[in-house]
Amino acid sequence: MGAPGGQNVFMDQFSLEARTQRVWDLNHAVWFTLMGLGGGVFLAGRILNLTEGLGALLGVPTVDVVSFAAIAVGGAILVGDLGRPLQFWRAFANVRTSWISWGAWSDLIFLTVAGLLVLPAVSIGGAEPFSGLGWDPHGRDGAGQALEIVAGAAAVVVMTYAGAVLARPRAIPYWNSPAVPVQFLLSSAAMSVAAVATIEVLAGEPVSAGQMVLLAVLSGGLLVTIVAHLLSRTDAPGKRESLDRLLRGCYRRLFVGLVLVAGTAAPAVLALVGAAAAGSRDALVVVCCVLLVAGGFWLRLLTLRVGIYPPVHIASPAGNRDAAGTPTSG
Amino acid sequence: MTRWGMVIDADRCVGCQACTVACKTENQSPLDAWYAPVLEWESGEFPDATLNYLPVLCNHCEDAPCVTACPSGALRRRDDGIVMADEEVCIGSRACMTACPYGALHFFEERGTVAVHGASEGPEPVPSVPEAYAHQRHVRGAVSKCTYCAHKIDFGTENGLEVGVHPLATPACVVTCPAECRIFGDLDNPDSNVSRYLAERGPGEVLRPDAETRPSTQYVGLG
Repeated sequence: MGAPGGQNVFMDQFSLEARTQRVWDLNHAVWFTLMGLGGGVFLAGRILNLTEGLGALLGVPTVDVVSFAAIAVGGAILVGDLGRPLQFWRAFANVRTSWISWGAWSDLIFLTVAGLLVLPAVSIGGAEPFSGLGWDPHGRDGAGQALEIVAGAAAVVVMTYAGAVLARPRAIPYWNSPAVPVQFLLSSAAMSVAAVATIEVLAGEPVSAGQMVLLAVLSGGLLVTIVAHLLSRTDAPGKRESLDRLLRGCYRRLFVGLVLVAGTAAPAVLALVGAAAAGSRDALVVVCCVLLVAGGFWLRLLTLRVGIYPPVHIASPAGNRDAAGTPTSG
Repeated sequence: MTRWGMVIDADRCVGCQACTVACKTENQSPLDAWYAPVLEWESGEFPDATLNYLPVLCNHCEDAPCVTACPSGALRRRDDGIVMADEEVCIGSRACMTACPYGALHFFEERGTVAVHGASEGPEPVPSVPEAYAHQRHVRGAVSKCTYCAHKIDFGTENGLEVGVHPLATPACVVTCPAECRIFGDLDNPDSNVSRYLAERGPGEVLRPDAETRPSTQYVGLG
């Protein structure tokens, strides 16, 4: 019997075989990672009260500079990857149903509001031209706190929407799960807490045991979410092929070795060790940061690369004609 | 309310690909984009082996994931159920391509082509809708797709032609099919050709039912 699924000679779109998406790849993985990191670093800096004492660039706290830079670079990569980059402003149009539109708005709101928030701190050549603005850039007064809350809410959407973009349509079963945006959110949060702690280390400030426990909890939560996703709907057409590639096929070493073990489980363990051993904490923080960022990037890239569509039709071995070529129905 | 749809009788398809070529000619689709190919697969074993055919095209889903995913609003579902891509509005995010379970959207990376419709071309013009109705060109960096030849349907409805019957008011793939395996008409009209065909040969099946997109392209005789 010939295997159902002869590939159409013209193209690789409609297909009777499971088909891998090739539309989004490296650029999107970088963009997803930078957005997650950018939104998360801002949130972590504000929630952990770490905007002061860790250095500044032109008066703007280092954590905020890192956050803005990551989101600006991520946004530039996204715009550059569009088929028609000069039309990027149209991405704001469909907020009713499109998560990309939600993401575009949240990026814009975040950069605008967080930019406004830190504006009074800007210092150029010793002058502080915006110091007269009526709020505290560290959110210690009502107006500053209000700006922080709006920017923080936008940052949460920035960290999550890439996962939601993948999870919403049913086309690709591996993506079509709430586990994907949750993974992206937890990965972003873990990367960001580690990045902020690394900034503390570089600034010569002590990292608290509480931060290490938080890092362990986020990494552990990410591990649980990934494993739960791997164990659900394992026989669904399309997802079965995705799991094969991740766990047994071409991506096994990268996924199991780099994402699961080195990029998620190891940081969880190291963070717990760091919480208990103050002497080695600084080194462990840096190691955790490197592992989490690398693991987070590969988590996103491999998620994209195992985006597999089931066949458009699962053909019967008997075909739609009997052996004599006469119709079998009707 | 009219809801245009197509019924494809897979039993009748002979795999000639005339629909594929007719579509390409009518829509002047980009070089590597085929809106309406025919997939084929083998079944049985020698000496009883046979080839089977599955004509495919955009499913013009009622719950179209491409429309939902599109950030720019370039993709929209008309009141008559046809899902259109406005290439001038498209930003090329390709979110629609990842969201479509069928692979019915095509990203055009090469230079623009100008669609020239048959009426004024060649020494012996073939009947065609006026160019005012025709798809004029494809936009580089944008996504294009099957429109059920909406330009012909619009021409037909505006000029009193019976859609799905008159050749100038019927999708090119339907007009050209020698085996008459494609039927086009109003799914919401119980007296339409598609509704009668489904009543006789149905019920209609759909591709990727797990995707729950409620396609307007339905099949009978799917193996």
